[in-house]
Amino acid sequence: MTWPQALQEAIDQFADVFDPMERYEMLFEWSSDVNELPVDEWNDANMIHGCQSQAHVMCHLEEGMFYMRGGADAQIVQGLMAITCLAVNGRPPEEVVEIEPTFVDEMGLKASLPPSTSNGYLNMFKRVQDEARLLMGDA
Amino acid sequence: MTLDIEAIRADFPILSRTVAEGKDLVYLDNAATTQKPQSVIDAMTHYYEQSNANVHRAVHTLAAEATEQYEASRDTLAAWFGTTRDNLIFTSGTTEAINLVAWGWARSNLNAGDAILITEMEHHADIVPWQLLAEEKGIEIRVVPIDTESDTLDMEIFSASLPGARLVCVVHTSNVLGVANPVDEIIAQSHDAGAKVLIDAAQAAPHHRLDFTAMGADFVAISGHKMCGPTGIGCLLATSESIEEMEPFMSGGDMIETVTMEKSTFAQGPQKFEAGTPKIAEAIGFAAAAEYLSNFDMDAVHSHIRGLAMYVASELKSVPGITVYGDHSVAEGSGVVSFLHDSVHAEDLARFMDAGGFAMRTGHHCAQPLLDAYGVTSTNRVSFYLYNTNAEAKAFIEHLRYIVERFG
Repeated sequence: MTWPQALQEAIDQFADVFDPMERYEMLFEWSSDVNELPVDEWNDANMIHGCQSQAHVMCHLEEGMFYMRGGADAQIVQGLMAITCLAVNGRPPEEVVEIEPTFVDEMGLKASLPPSTSNGYLNMFKRVQDEARLLMGDA
Repeated sequence: MTLDIEAIRADFPILSRTVAEGKDLVYLDNAATTQKPQSVIDAMTHYYEQSNANVHRAVHTLAAEATEQYEASRDTLAAWFGTTRDNLIFTSGTTEAINLVAWGWARSNLNAGDAILITEMEHHADIVPWQLLAEEKGIEIRVVPIDTESDTLDMEIFSASLPGARLVCVVHTSNVLGVANPVDEIIAQSHDAGAKVLIDAAQAAPHHRLDFTAMGADFVAISGHKMCGPTGIGCLLATSESIEEMEPFMSGGDMIETVTMEKSTFAQGPQKFEAGTPKIAEAIGFAAAAEYLSNFDMDAVHSHIRGLAMYVASELKSVPGITVYGDHSVAEGSGVVSFLHDSVHAEDLARFMDAGGFAMRTGHHCAQPLLDAYGVTSTNRVSFYLYNTNAEAKAFIEHLRYIVERFG
């Protein structure tokens, strides 16, 4: 799949780093770039289950295109959300549900992060795709 | 007696591996499970390579060897825990041991209106079974709170709550705070009030040479894997009187005397509660762990572990933004240190530590009521064991200081 330019730049940035500590530092820094879901909008309905931290995601359509906003109390998780925004935002929901999150591999995240992190991420991505599936009915 | 920590480390093959792209493993999650020495691994491997068969059933050579080794493990462990083979029931661990007391003893000996005393310091394994039983039988559960200023149980409320209680369930040493409770006093007061006592010794057994007979509790629950043994094995120590009063919790093969299509009669003693093919290799590994620990002066082991926890707790208190939970100024207690930073999330901190090679725990540690009492939902937790070194403790503090300065 061809990724949006901003995501491809992020992939290239991460792919050059081999130290897990440095990867985490980069994700920590990415956390501020998320399309943020403010804490006062966090509720049980938009909570992502299966994360050790509190993580929430809300999705909507703008002129038929899919957009997610996310927030987490753990910055590394929020950094992963920011990367996800680059992959899915501005696409038709029909495309979002078809995305294979191979960019996680391409960034070296899956190989160097422990399963608890990468599995938690896949949980989050599946939730985003479930939201896109629901919104397809509204498009 | 001084411990030769480097020699001890050489007994644990996993400690020489690297993690996180080549960093030395610093294993500080021992309250969750400890690593296994080569002797434990060899004992289990040898059993599978040479003697594997089912126990108590056949007359062939392997079955005889397996039975002999399995029952010899019971003898070894009974001796280690200061009791006899007739008072040691193998379980899958502390959780099953507590459930055995709940469903094997309490269910048939307590009635509606009876009370069970538990504490706010308990692991979920010593809370949930009692809630389920209370729901079924109409039993009252009384909870002794923790004083979060002193990190100790409120013993005044404990004493006041005793009249009418038939069973007192208390954790010996907290898996979150590392605080040891006054179990001698708790047992004495409970017996004076006519209550039986169950001690959750999951975190205490790895530190002390527990003497069940001297301790005087009616039940003690223990996990093998937290004291160098394999996972999936533990035991319930129970007095002969208590065992007599217990009904089977699980039933099937190996726990019966005779079975007809109308009725069954049961074996006596521990076997009555060990239905089905037992955890043979695990029991052998558990005994090998006790034999391994018997090489050391357990007072020296405790001093070493507790010393590391006291050092780390003291250093953490000097890191800006860190709150340490539990009193680490006293010699009693375990190698556990729980803490939180006020701006670096516990999960982020644990991931940064993992990336530096440090294995530590994050979460509610299966003790949500205790964390509620402190007004937090999770903590970071490090926990030391006999193979951890002063250098590891120092490196942990150094890496943590870097993270807090960089991201705090």
